[in-house]
Amino acid sequence: MSGAAAIRVEGLGMVYPNGVRALEGVSLEVHAGEFLAVLGLSGSGKSTLLRCINRLIDPTEGRVFIHGEEITAARGARLRAMRRQVAMIFQQFNLVRRHSVLDNVLSGALGRSPLLPSLLLSFPAAERERAMTCLERVGLADRSTSRADALSGGQQQRVAIARALMQAPRLILADEPVASLDPALRHSVMRHVEALNRDEGMTVVCSLHDIDLVTRYATRMVALRDGRLVWEGPPGAFDHATFKSIYGEEAQPASNTGF
Amino acid sequence: MAPRSVSATGSRFDDGVARLQAVLVDAMLVGAALLMVEFLALAFSGRRGPTGLLLSAEQILDLLHYAWAVAGGLLIAVTWGLFSSRLGASPGRAWFIGVPEWEAGLEWSRTLRGWFAAVFVELTFFTGWLITELDLVTFLTKFGKAADIVRGLAHPSGAVLHEGLVLLVQTVFLAFMATAFAIPVAFVLAFPSARNLTRGTLAAGVAYTVSRTLMNFVRAVEPLVWALIFISWVGIGPFAGVLALWVHSVAALTKLYSEQIESIDTGPMEAIAATGASPLQVLRYGVVPQVIPPFLSFTIYRWDINVRMSTIIGFVGGGGIGYILKPRVDLGEWGEVGTLVLLIAATVWLMDVLSAKIRERIV
Ligand SMILES: Nc1ncnc2c1ncn2[C@@H]1O[C@H](COP(=O)(O)OP(=O)(O)OP(=O)(O)O)[C@@H](O)[C@H]1O
Ligand SMILES: [Mg+2]
Repeated sequence: MSGAAAIRVEGLGMVYPNGVRALEGVSLEVHAGEFLAVLGLSGSGKSTLLRCINRLIDPTEGRVFIHGEEITAARGARLRAMRRQVAMIFQQFNLVRRHSVLDNVLSGALGRSPLLPSLLLSFPAAERERAMTCLERVGLADRSTSRADALSGGQQQRVAIARALMQAPRLILADEPVASLDPALRHSVMRHVEALNRDEGMTVVCSLHDIDLVTRYATRMVALRDGRLVWEGPPGAFDHATFKSIYGEEAQPASNTGF
Repeated sequence: MAPRSVSATGSRFDDGVARLQAVLVDAMLVGAALLMVEFLALAFSGRRGPTGLLLSAEQILDLLHYAWAVAGGLLIAVTWGLFSSRLGASPGRAWFIGVPEWEAGLEWSRTLRGWFAAVFVELTFFTGWLITELDLVTFLTKFGKAADIVRGLAHPSGAVLHEGLVLLVQTVFLAFMATAFAIPVAFVLAFPSARNLTRGTLAAGVAYTVSRTLMNFVRAVEPLVWALIFISWVGIGPFAGVLALWVHSVAALTKLYSEQIESIDTGPMEAIAATGASPLQVLRYGVVPQVIPPFLSFTIYRWDINVRMSTIIGFVGGGGIGYILKPRVDLGEWGEVGTLVLLIAATVWLMDVLSAKIRERIV
């Protein structure tokens, strides 16, 4: 499927069972190797969009293609095989808190591991070595035997990044990966996400709140408002008028956003 | 920006259902009140039964006009519903539909509903007093016989000490085996009994309904009744007691376990699912680590409860210390009863302290 976009979203719509409409008619393409930032106010549908892409939730309208194959039509083993291509990083890290750091990284390999041993937390030696390499990449090899919840927030997110790396995906979905971190630590985590994009050639779709981070890391950005796509372009083209169109007339850019 | 809601609210059908529910609840309440009034009227009317004595509670219950109460209840409920804008909402209406504007925020004593509730509670109390044949005079004057028991408890006899200790060991093991066998079964059943894991597919929904209904039924039947069933199955003895407590523990633990599963953080589950893991792997990594400590705590608590229950399961023949307690109570050998009761109390107390301490450590 060469030439197909890494992700193609067609007319995506999502109405939650409680009747809340979170997405409406969203169409977009993400090209291989891009670092796409998704912006939008709280509640604009960023998380919903990312979760529809790997089908953690089922969109009620529209279709999503991953490297030309429709994930919205996949089920069972096929869906899981497609998910292996798409790693996800969460705002709340979502590590298995009581497992060791190494076991958390190893869980990135679950999709390709034989079922029974994996249920006993047993992985082949090659995978364990690989997991250690992934931990080295995020600078946490010395913490491999610690319990995950004994680490600081920034460290936990780096473990989550190592888990994503372990998965060896072609795509990364990151849902506000640094929003629960101390501002001082944000770059130290974002740099690892950037490395996945630049050094590993993984396509990244990352929702972000902070315009600074967008201009620093993204190669392109889209913006959502009330579940609709309202803006799309390079971060450089992002100006005051665009800001107002995304965040509404009353919104003021925070003093540190550079406007 | 507020999300748009596309759900329809307050359909005509829903209105109708709410009205029906309100009338039925009101009819039940009013009907019950009418029956209680009739009960009290009969009790204080001085009417005598065939033996020439005053009517007993059971005889009065036999005499009540149930059909009339249903009819009267419905009539009053419907009438109250029709005139609720002036009378204020009836209890059922307040619950299912709401109260008229002028009535909202009023003190209970200024609403008809409030007075009805107050009278209802009084009626229930006085009727209950008569139905359960409470008798303060007897309670205060006939202490003599019970004093024998108390004296026996204070002078425990050593004759039964050895046998009692032996059976006490059996009692604790009986509870232990019942709990141990209940753990794996409840662990497996807890997953289909958890609502958050069984949404989505039809098969999962059916598994949820079946296991929940079954477990609710099993739990509703008392362990003593289960003991009777198993005694006729495997004969008198501790094995029947183990089975009885096992069945009941499976149901109780399934409920506790599944509620714990329902309250987990779904984040790790999502993260594991996102790696392309299979459903079993998602359970193993995303759910199990989160629920193990509370499961352990519940299980120890359950063992504690089972020790208590196993001391009385012997009363009906289910083994353990209760088995030798019953005949001594019947024969009035209060000294020996005293020994056994003290042994039981000490064990239960010890288990209680022990289980609390262990659970403290785990959580
Ligand atoms: N599970 C759910 N059930 C019902 N409604 C939901 C659910 N998840 C999200 N929503 C609603 O959908 C809308 C979009 O939510 P979403 O989480 O996608 O927004 P977001 O852009 O990620 O916001 P934030 O920046 O706060 O994370 C919101 O109105 C939200 O309340
Ligand atoms: Mg979000």
